[in-house]
Amino acid sequence: MNRKLTSIITLASVLVMGSVLQGCSTSVERMDTKEVTDLSGDWNDTDSRMVSEEMIADVLSRPWISSFVRKNNNQPAVIVGEIRNLSHEHINVNTFVGDMERELINSGKVEFVASSDERGEIREERRDQELHSSEATRKAMGREVGADFMLKGSINTILDTEGKSQIRYYQIDLTLISMADNRKVWVGQKKIKKLVKKAGMRW
Amino acid sequence: MHWLTHPVRLIRTPLLLSAMLISSGCVSMAYTQDPLEQYLITQQPELALTALEQQQHKPRDQAIYHLNKATLLRMQGNFEDSNTELETAKQTSTNLEALSLREQAAAVTVNDAMRSYLPAPFERAMLYCLKIINYLELNDLNGARVETLQLDVFLKQNFETAEPAFARYLSGLVFEANKELSDALIAYRKAYQAYKTAETNVPKQLQADLLRLTDDQGLADEHQTYLEEFKLKHWLKQSELNRHGEFIAIVLNGLVPHKHETAINAQDPRSGQLHRIAIPFYEKRQAQVKTVQIVDTNLSRPGETFAALDQQAEANLSDQMPGIIARAIARVSVKNNFSDNMAKQSQLLGFVSNIAGFISEQADTRGWYSLPQEIIISRIALPPGDHELDIRLKGNANTIVAKKSSNIIALQQRQKQFYSWHLPASTITSKRDDHARITYSASIRHRID
Repeated sequence: MNRKLTSIITLASVLVMGSVLQGCSTSVERMDTKEVTDLSGDWNDTDSRMVSEEMIADVLSRPWISSFVRKNNNQPAVIVGEIRNLSHEHINVNTFVGDMERELINSGKVEFVASSDERGEIREERRDQELHSSEATRKAMGREVGADFMLKGSINTILDTEGKSQIRYYQIDLTLISMADNRKVWVGQKKIKKLVKKAGMRW
Repeated sequence: MHWLTHPVRLIRTPLLLSAMLISSGCVSMAYTQDPLEQYLITQQPELALTALEQQQHKPRDQAIYHLNKATLLRMQGNFEDSNTELETAKQTSTNLEALSLREQAAAVTVNDAMRSYLPAPFERAMLYCLKIINYLELNDLNGARVETLQLDVFLKQNFETAEPAFARYLSGLVFEANKELSDALIAYRKAYQAYKTAETNVPKQLQADLLRLTDDQGLADEHQTYLEEFKLKHWLKQSELNRHGEFIAIVLNGLVPHKHETAINAQDPRSGQLHRIAIPFYEKRQAQVKTVQIVDTNLSRPGETFAALDQQAEANLSDQMPGIIARAIARVSVKNNFSDNMAKQSQLLGFVSNIAGFISEQADTRGWYSLPQEIIISRIALPPGDHELDIRLKGNANTIVAKKSSNIIALQQRQKQFYSWHLPASTITSKRDDHARITYSASIRHRID
């Protein structure tokens, strides 16, 4: 009887220790980047991708492009301006802007010009080329393509919290402004609503 | 021959006395040997950080570790890493809001310090504030704004009435720096309400800000009310301020008082069992700096106290005290029942468990002790251009305790430049527990009886 009890206790101990040790070790699992995984409820890669894909699809389907091409006989050049984070979260706006740039460029419907920071670096390189590159390969100053439109926007949030539950409402507003005359040629809006429930108990 | 049959009775009294001495000695030993505080007071945050890293940190004290590390990093000018630590402390605190039955059980059987340390609401509000100040120092106005919005949610959830006024004032500064004057006015209004609720003086700077912004936003009635109440002769109009830049110094002064333990010991005349109830109380501290002055070539501005964290700490402990006492009394009952049951099996076991229960009764004296005792703010509006400023911290009789000269500051119109300085120099003026004893001992004895 005693030997049986000892065996049961030993087996139970091994199982408990095994599960504890498994819980302590780091585990890594490769995931599809399009798989939706919400951990904290904060703004994440899925939100960034969803918003950029949907909003860019919207902006590219509107008549401002055809009207510009008709008038100017070439594709519009677009630049992404400031996307202000006015939300409650530290959102990495750069990944969001990156997603939008990718969607715009890959659409083939618009041309894209480098942002203000990127332009500074490229101009510096051009200045350097004037001094150090051969005449045949040197790129001259003053031949940049000026943007026809600037895409600007903001990310806002409204939070409603009660106890352990929180409604997070994100509103992303984007505006495409004509550089020539400040006309707003497109205004887009995307909303995301999440219900986040915090744990009430812990170990 | 009686002592041979009952050896426990013979050694009981001297051992109980020893237990009393040991248990009362533990706290003061821990206090006097805290190197962190010594290095802070001598303004050596690098050594304090080394000492912190060398200390053992229990998993239940993780929040305190990250908070102290954050404070020490920011004192060395490492604002980014400080914010990483503060964010970790914030997440840890959020997770600790969930109830742990295991820790609650430990709190009513051993002592309150067996629970994970969830920073007090005033400490958590300061966590957000320090993050905001770090972002302002990094000139990251968007980051500061995000924290300000999170702080607003936290304050709404955790302070029904007496909000920390400084947190609201700092929020106003962030909105102003972001040129959102309407939001700034709302935050300043809340700061004003918080000072009134706490029955403390409304800083003259806040009075001037309210007058300036209500005038700018065209709120004539509200402006008139403030004019009549404050009776300020001079205040800067928004149009005038718009032609200037502004330098804002935030001085974190001294160190928040530490908690110590006071205990009420009693012996049951029938069973001979010892009862012990330990509760925390705050020491009194005096910061070395009394006032702050920013000095430009032809202009100087004094500072004003916007936050007294020692008072907030005291108020928080008073609010918590009924719960602390209730748990302590529950522990007495649990521990004595356990000793009684043990004594039924063996007198020695009963005695040992009584001693163990007695010694383990310790007050929870943990806290975020690298916080300042108070916060002083000084704002100076300056014409656009280069400025070299002196920040003077003055003690008694207007003597300069410490002085720093800024690098050349290139101020632009409507730009706000922030600078913070933590001078922990302070002295303990009293560690007497009279107040705690007088206030709570009668209630404890009554409930034990």
